[in-house]
Amino acid sequence: MSSKTLPNGSAEAPIEVSSLPPVVGINFGNTYASIAVFTKEGLAECIANEDGERQIACAIAFHGEEIYIGNQAKSQLVKNSKNTIAGFRNLLGKKFSEIPQSRSTTSAPIIQHPDIVDEPAYKVEVLQPAPSPLPTSNVTSQLNTPAASHAPTPRSEPIPAERILSVSEVATIFIKSLIQSAEDFLGKKVQGAVISAPAWFSDIQRAALEKAASDAGVNILQLLDEAGAAAATTTTDVWSTDLQADRTQLVVDLGSSSLSLSLLSIREGLTYVLASSSIANVGGDQIDDKLIKFFAADFTKKTKTPLAVCPSTDIQDKRAEAKLRLAIEHTKRTISASPGAATCSVESLKDGLDYTGSINRMRFDMVASTVYTAVADSIVALLASAAVDAHEVDEIVYVGGTTCLPGLDERICLGAGFNEEIETPFSRGTVVGGGVGDPTTILARGCAAQAALISSISEDAELREAFTRDTKANRVRATTRTLGVLLPDSAAEKIDNKPWGVWVPVVQKETALPVRRTVSFDVGITEESKRFALEVYEVKDAIRVEKVQAEVDGDNEEDGEEDEIEIKRKTVANPVLLGALELEALLGIKAKGKGPQAGKWTTTIEVQFIVGIDGDLEVDVKEVGKHGASGQLRVPAH
Amino acid sequence: MTVLQIVAPPLPESYKTPSAPSGSRIAPPHPSGHRTLLPVGPAYLNHLRLTLHHAHSFSALDKHLEAERDRLFALNGDASAAEDDLGVGDEEESPVLLSLDPKEWKKQDHYAVLGLSHLRYKASPEQIKIAHRKKVLKHHPDKKASGPNAAPITSSIFLNGVSQNTNDDAFFKCIQKAHEVLTNTERRRQFDSVDPVFMELEEDMPTAVEVKNNKDLDFFKTFTNAFELYARFSKAQPVPGLGHVDSTKEEVEGFYHFWYNFDSWRSFEWMDKEVNEGSDSRDDKRYTEKKNKSERARRKKEDTTKLRSLVDLCLSADPRIKRIKQQEKEAREAKKRGTAPSGAPAKKTKKEEAEEKKKKEEEAKQKEEEEKLARAEAKKQKAAAANAAKKAKRQQRAAEDAA
Repeated sequence: MSSKTLPNGSAEAPIEVSSLPPVVGINFGNTYASIAVFTKEGLAECIANEDGERQIACAIAFHGEEIYIGNQAKSQLVKNSKNTIAGFRNLLGKKFSEIPQSRSTTSAPIIQHPDIVDEPAYKVEVLQPAPSPLPTSNVTSQLNTPAASHAPTPRSEPIPAERILSVSEVATIFIKSLIQSAEDFLGKKVQGAVISAPAWFSDIQRAALEKAASDAGVNILQLLDEAGAAAATTTTDVWSTDLQADRTQLVVDLGSSSLSLSLLSIREGLTYVLASSSIANVGGDQIDDKLIKFFAADFTKKTKTPLAVCPSTDIQDKRAEAKLRLAIEHTKRTISASPGAATCSVESLKDGLDYTGSINRMRFDMVASTVYTAVADSIVALLASAAVDAHEVDEIVYVGGTTCLPGLDERICLGAGFNEEIETPFSRGTVVGGGVGDPTTILARGCAAQAALISSISEDAELREAFTRDTKANRVRATTRTLGVLLPDSAAEKIDNKPWGVWVPVVQKETALPVRRTVSFDVGITEESKRFALEVYEVKDAIRVEKVQAEVDGDNEEDGEEDEIEIKRKTVANPVLLGALELEALLGIKAKGKGPQAGKWTTTIEVQFIVGIDGDLEVDVKEVGKHGASGQLRVPAH
Repeated sequence: MTVLQIVAPPLPESYKTPSAPSGSRIAPPHPSGHRTLLPVGPAYLNHLRLTLHHAHSFSALDKHLEAERDRLFALNGDASAAEDDLGVGDEEESPVLLSLDPKEWKKQDHYAVLGLSHLRYKASPEQIKIAHRKKVLKHHPDKKASGPNAAPITSSIFLNGVSQNTNDDAFFKCIQKAHEVLTNTERRRQFDSVDPVFMELEEDMPTAVEVKNNKDLDFFKTFTNAFELYARFSKAQPVPGLGHVDSTKEEVEGFYHFWYNFDSWRSFEWMDKEVNEGSDSRDDKRYTEKKNKSERARRKKEDTTKLRSLVDLCLSADPRIKRIKQQEKEAREAKKRGTAPSGAPAKKTKKEEAEEKKKKEEEAKQKEEEEKLARAEAKKQKAAAANAAKKAKRQQRAAEDAA
């Protein structure tokens, strides 16, 4: 510290020590977008824009000379709907003829671009600033005209004009505003961005998105699939410490207009899609419609004023619907966040009458029940198409604001027949309060983490390119069955008429090749022999269904019906012996103390499996410690 | 690597290693292209390196990653050289430490709280400052609210969003307390005096019984450790070490002289009983203070005796003293015999030997006594000298006054 005191404000600005390049992750949805940056702590964090919004509505409104972007634009949908553009992402890269015209939109109408063939565009009415008046000429003032006033000539009224905006231009304006928010937050120019795109986007649509972003001056590091962005978040260390590194994960992405499901195989961070589906017409908008109908009926009941919504025809009703649509956003968030009842208040909903109503969770779940059921059914269908039992799914991850609803989680867990111990962000309690499992920010955070990763690759273009293009390296071979070691135990139950033992799966099925896995555990030995044996097997994972007599409650005794509960357990089937190893332990230790293990001999061993690209298997077994016993086993490829 | 918490049962007696059929192979994997990796995450980057650069060989990838890590380490090493942490390092807090109650701050190990348990009393004020800063950065309550573990694990939906961990800043308070104690020299001295780790080690000091009964006790190892432990309390630094078998007479004598006159800064205020906060009674306070004072004195005395007995024990077991005595004796005898050649000393009988031993012990005791006496004498002389000086001064002053 310097002894000399400095006047306030003359201190030098702190030197930036962060070695991270300023990169952002953008989740660009059809309805909402969010931005995230990678912080010094090594965490990706979703940031708020200038309005304090982390969920930025994808809407642009033109009002007079002003342009509103984001949530401000959304509220313009009530009075200025014909100049407000929303839901433009899904139109990127589409031709005018491909867009169904029947869609009733509350926003600006989509028209054929007047100059470009088969190009959709928006027409909005704006006010153009009038040309500034001519500067006063000195020459004229010297002649016979009176001296010009010193006051500036008032500008003339702006001229009403029509502006034609192509979808790509709209996207560019919007992305530019997102980048601007990120730059304001970082205090630095953004050098690169990863933007999410839905898996169903065609190459043309991707190219259109890329073009819109580069027009906005963004260097795109990668266009990341939404499932990939979710995986980028869920494979980080902060996601959860209790989860297995090898797991099957179901990503439920419930947007406002569509539902995408992806079944992912995550193997120590290496991820691929086992199956995926995308269902249009199931989404948050449907819940909105139902909720609006519910509140509208309530309004009619309370005020005896007819209000026909969804669909509404009358202009008054249309306005009322738009007002309700804005108001229920708040209601849905309240329902998601707290267990109590949530209110919905609209001033002057119709005919100057105010409306205040409330809905509790149970009623809400009843209202949204059909959507919940549709989601659960889609999951069942997806699992069936992938031939994956619901019990094999280890984790569910939710994406999108609608999935914040606890009722949906309950319905999915019960309705699709998942294991009771299945991990969801709700079961870990990380949904509310900005936890890591917050479904609204997951994609943006994943994109930010990915942006930081890609920008840290210094080596060569080949690696970077693999992230942006579909390369040969992405198409991998993967195992179809589970490999592991069996520690024989004569007392264990039998499989294939042979006593099975302690089964330690090492390489799970659906693991990309080449793969290396190491596990370490203790084996028991006896004082006399000190021998232990490992049998290497390949098995098929199976689910065993046990029927257990349900305990009959006292009340239901008269019914005489005996309920049977099915209990599903993971087990193995069709074991194929690949080899066996028998070793003599050199470093056995005797447990001391008084516990149940006291006086028993054990040794710790480390087992490493390497499956080569061709399917050849190498097994290395060694005792942990210096001069321990070791053994190898090779199973050649086909 | 995954560490599984399982213990496999021991092999049954009758176990025979099965032999796999020679044609057994793993099931054919999904053909290439059946599965497409999502280009996501560090694992994917490693997979790319593995397939594109290292021809699917894990050992080659390991080598590459190792080299990369070394390179980064070298880079960061250069960068971090600018802000040297003076060897404070980063100590992980054990769960026990994190669950400390700030109200019980007197019982906490302040060095461990600041992550300085490897330095302890040797930590310099700068190091304490750095360590404190590090810990605060990590444990500040403001930090915790947004950290990765911030989200409360709730079992009930009714508690969602409600912070249940009211004890969030407990460890932070502990850190502040530790900093407060260790930055105040006086209070740090008090804490160092009763440093819990030292107290533990003090229990293992060699005792007379141990030294006598254990014939193959390593004298130097045992006592060097003991004295080094105590050396921290010396006001005079550096402290002479015990030395080794072949230390000279002067060294040995110097050592014992130092330790018999050991000047310790150790004190026991830390163990004082708190004066009852609520009581305004002056008598009560005085009574506690008095008790504390006597307790302190008692502890100090105990400590001094303990050290004293340790030095005594050391002296009695010191093989060098025997050697020195022997040498002195030989020298004397040689002198007595005049120019007689110093042949091999005659063989002694057992009785003689025993006698000699006894004599030596007596001598040692005597020497000790003498030393004590000499010290007392020296003190007296010093006092006398001071008196004389005073007297002289007074006389001089008187003379001046008279003049």
